[in-house]
Amino acid sequence: MTTQGQVRLENVAKYHGQVAALKNVELDIRPGEFFALLGPSGSGKSTTLRLLAGLDKPTRGRILFDGADVTAKGAQDRDVAMVFQSYALYPHMTVAQNISFPLEMEKTPKAEIAGRVQEAARKVRIEHLLDRRPGQLSGGQQQRCALARAIVRRSGLFLLDEPLSNLDAKLRLETRTELKRLQRSLGVTTVYVTHDQEEALTLADRMAVFMDGEIRQIGSPAEVFAWPNSIEVAAFIGSPPMNLMKAALKDGVPSIDGRPLDVKPVSGSPEVIVGVRPSAVRIGGDGIRATVDLVENLGDNAILDLSYEGGTARARVDDAADYAEGQTVAMSFDAKNIHLFDAASGRRLEVQ
Amino acid sequence: MPEAGAFSSGEPDGLSAQNLDRLERLREKRFAGALLAPALLALLATTTFPLFFLVWISAQRKDLAMPFMDGFVGLENYRQLLGDPRFWESLGLSMIYTVSTVVLQVAIGLALALLLMKMKRGQTLFRIIAILPVVLSPAVVGMVWRSFMLTPEFGVIDYLSITAGFGSRNWLGDPTLAMISVIVIHTWQWTPFAFMVLLASLAALPEDIYEAARIDRANSWQRFTRITLPLLRPAIVMVVIMRTMVALTAFAAIYVVTAGGPGTATEILNLYAYRKSFTELSLGYGSALAVALLIVTVLISFVLFLLRRERTA
Amino acid sequence: MRHLRSAAILIGALVFTFAWVFPILWSVLNSFKTEQDILAYPPKLFFEPTLAAYRQVLFGAQSILPNVWSSIVISVGTTVITMILAVPAAYALARLQVPGKKSAGFYILVTQMLPPVGIIIPYFLALRNIGWMDTYHGIIIIYLSFSLPFAIWLMVSYFEDVPWEMEEAAAVDGAGRLTTLWRIIIPQVKGGIAVTVVFVFLNAWNEFLFAVVLSGNTVRPVTIAMFNFVSVEQTLWAQLAAVSVVAMLPVVILGIVAQQHIVKGLTVGAVKGGGRR
Repeated sequence: MTTQGQVRLENVAKYHGQVAALKNVELDIRPGEFFALLGPSGSGKSTTLRLLAGLDKPTRGRILFDGADVTAKGAQDRDVAMVFQSYALYPHMTVAQNISFPLEMEKTPKAEIAGRVQEAARKVRIEHLLDRRPGQLSGGQQQRCALARAIVRRSGLFLLDEPLSNLDAKLRLETRTELKRLQRSLGVTTVYVTHDQEEALTLADRMAVFMDGEIRQIGSPAEVFAWPNSIEVAAFIGSPPMNLMKAALKDGVPSIDGRPLDVKPVSGSPEVIVGVRPSAVRIGGDGIRATVDLVENLGDNAILDLSYEGGTARARVDDAADYAEGQTVAMSFDAKNIHLFDAASGRRLEVQ
Repeated sequence: MPEAGAFSSGEPDGLSAQNLDRLERLREKRFAGALLAPALLALLATTTFPLFFLVWISAQRKDLAMPFMDGFVGLENYRQLLGDPRFWESLGLSMIYTVSTVVLQVAIGLALALLLMKMKRGQTLFRIIAILPVVLSPAVVGMVWRSFMLTPEFGVIDYLSITAGFGSRNWLGDPTLAMISVIVIHTWQWTPFAFMVLLASLAALPEDIYEAARIDRANSWQRFTRITLPLLRPAIVMVVIMRTMVALTAFAAIYVVTAGGPGTATEILNLYAYRKSFTELSLGYGSALAVALLIVTVLISFVLFLLRRERTA
Repeated sequence: MRHLRSAAILIGALVFTFAWVFPILWSVLNSFKTEQDILAYPPKLFFEPTLAAYRQVLFGAQSILPNVWSSIVISVGTTVITMILAVPAAYALARLQVPGKKSAGFYILVTQMLPPVGIIIPYFLALRNIGWMDTYHGIIIIYLSFSLPFAIWLMVSYFEDVPWEMEEAAAVDGAGRLTTLWRIIIPQVKGGIAVTVVFVFLNAWNEFLFAVVLSGNTVRPVTIAMFNFVSVEQTLWAQLAAVSVVAMLPVVILGIVAQQHIVKGLTVGAVKGGGRR
């Protein structure tokens, strides 16, 4: 893996007039890493990508590539490649001309261009489409063409702006795998913007969760999934989202529906929220009494919508057939699956 | 991560980055300015400069026939204008000409568009036919009508009039007939324009709302008045605005057909300003007339734009 | 009911065709008649066609070929200069952050309210002073007063149709602003440029008021020269018809070529550019 392609954002903010699109972002991306920027729309993830590309300039802060300050450089002077959400293929050029355009701009010798175009096209398997115009391509082919145009220049940083969002569901899955393989084989630092947590979780080495123009958490997908550091992140990651239940505190030990949970007492927090993923809700045996409101059959498994004294929750179960609407069940959680958050600040409480 | 924020060296960097943002915008402004400047200068020279010069001339006595009398007269031309019956008459003719041609164009254009909308085949043919008059020079249209349609005992219209038993008429020699003739010619040339715009707007109306209306049991007249007309209203208002502006400054066809005559029977304000300036060579007074025409144009378009805003809001 | 409606449509279509085609068709027919045929009463629909009128008009003593040349020089000159000025300006208005962009656009719009007669009076005086009457540059410059705002607005609408990411993709690919404009953006509005060219040419070819005032013996477009064939003593009907056809031919061809874009061109031109005829 290369040692080049390290990216660093220092104290970066972007304001449009008085409105903050991005407040104080600090970010280190390691060479060769596949890094996802995940967040709902308007959270600042796309702004961050545009700042990395040089399409926008930060209002404050510095951007460094391999330690060199590139903040002042425009997109054309930064060594970055980008795949746009809409692909932004040049409609008046053939696929080959589209791919060779960045090379021409670099003043690559003519003799070399043809070979490089072929190579890039082969990597994304569109060699047979080189003479076509973008308008004659399917969505998936256009997406590959955009990828080829981005990889042809072998730039140090590869930016992807929701590249899969315009593909249909089946193609999206295939392309996702392929993208990952391509990135591994190229070894190029890649920043990937998405609002789709599944994409981020499957693709990224590490990811940053954006909300309200701030980074809420940085870590590997597994870390973020297992230890969300705030209620908001917890609610955003995972599908269906994590159950967040208000708990009463008795001697620091949270309890739901009068049943104390199997966790150590917390201190300094007058009110806590208990988070449990639907997949970690155990049904049966002894536990909180709940009524099944709805059974959503997903085929492989099912989701139960439950209501208990004081709130609602969801549970993932193996077989829909075992449950009926209106049935009363007992739910319980293992200590290792319980997340605790401070209700006032939303921050994670470390216990156990 | 506020701790990390404190790590960055703070203000100096922040400031320079802020300048970058500004510098970038400045660069874009310069580039845009360089692209815009030549065109804006050309417009300044060909429209704004003449406007100021025009207002200046309108405050002069400027008579090419009597240059020795030239000089600054202030508002004298405008005072004269207000007491000039020919001015009021020409203004009246402008109104008659504008209102009648615009109403006719929209009414006939809309009727034809509604009729031909229903045609399954041959719409392209009619689109091409509609283009013919619109792309022609009004001067040539005027010449064709004046010569081959309206010349007594030679033109086709006169022939039809004789055949129908109305006898040969001096179409362009009779004051009323002359006015009707120029109105008809203008309407002939520009109705296809209204037709094309309205047909395009009609074609753009979604099919499903008509299906919905039918399910709601609206008959065809109700569908026309309650759905088609309201939806078409922006397009109609747009056509009215465009055609009004053009009718107010109509020149070539009238000039070729009647030159404002007989006498001043077809002399709309625009023609009066021209004749005063270039036939009677009183450019000062002609300029005042042109300014008056400008004021009338601005007032009318202001009213029409208000109308448009009100209705689209 | 259904039959009634089809009949109404058919009758409407026929009236439409007849009313709008006939005057033009009649001029064309007349241009192929001899002077005797043309004066025949009742008017002749069937006759032996002759090119005599065209021969006279094109190669006779009063040949209008120099006038056709005049019209071409004026129209081409106006078109070329207009496009050179309008395309960059329209791009800036459509795509770039310009302070006062709105006012610039509004200014271009408002210039169109000026009645042509109000422009020609000062221009007449100015050109007379510097001796530019009856010159091509004099007439072309004043033609910019209507062609330029029109072309700018029409081109703005075409530039606005180009996807926003194009500039950004080009920038990421390492292209500078001018390269982007020339190699990425302009090729995508080629069609729009062609349509604009057609309309500007058409308007310049058809212009009358300015030409009447500014033309002379050197610069005398066809629209003015057709008066050569009309006089109080004698009108040369067939030749007049032939001249009319010559004047109509180029714009009719262009109009049909640009057929599909004509509504857009006409509406943009008239709403934003105040159709000037």
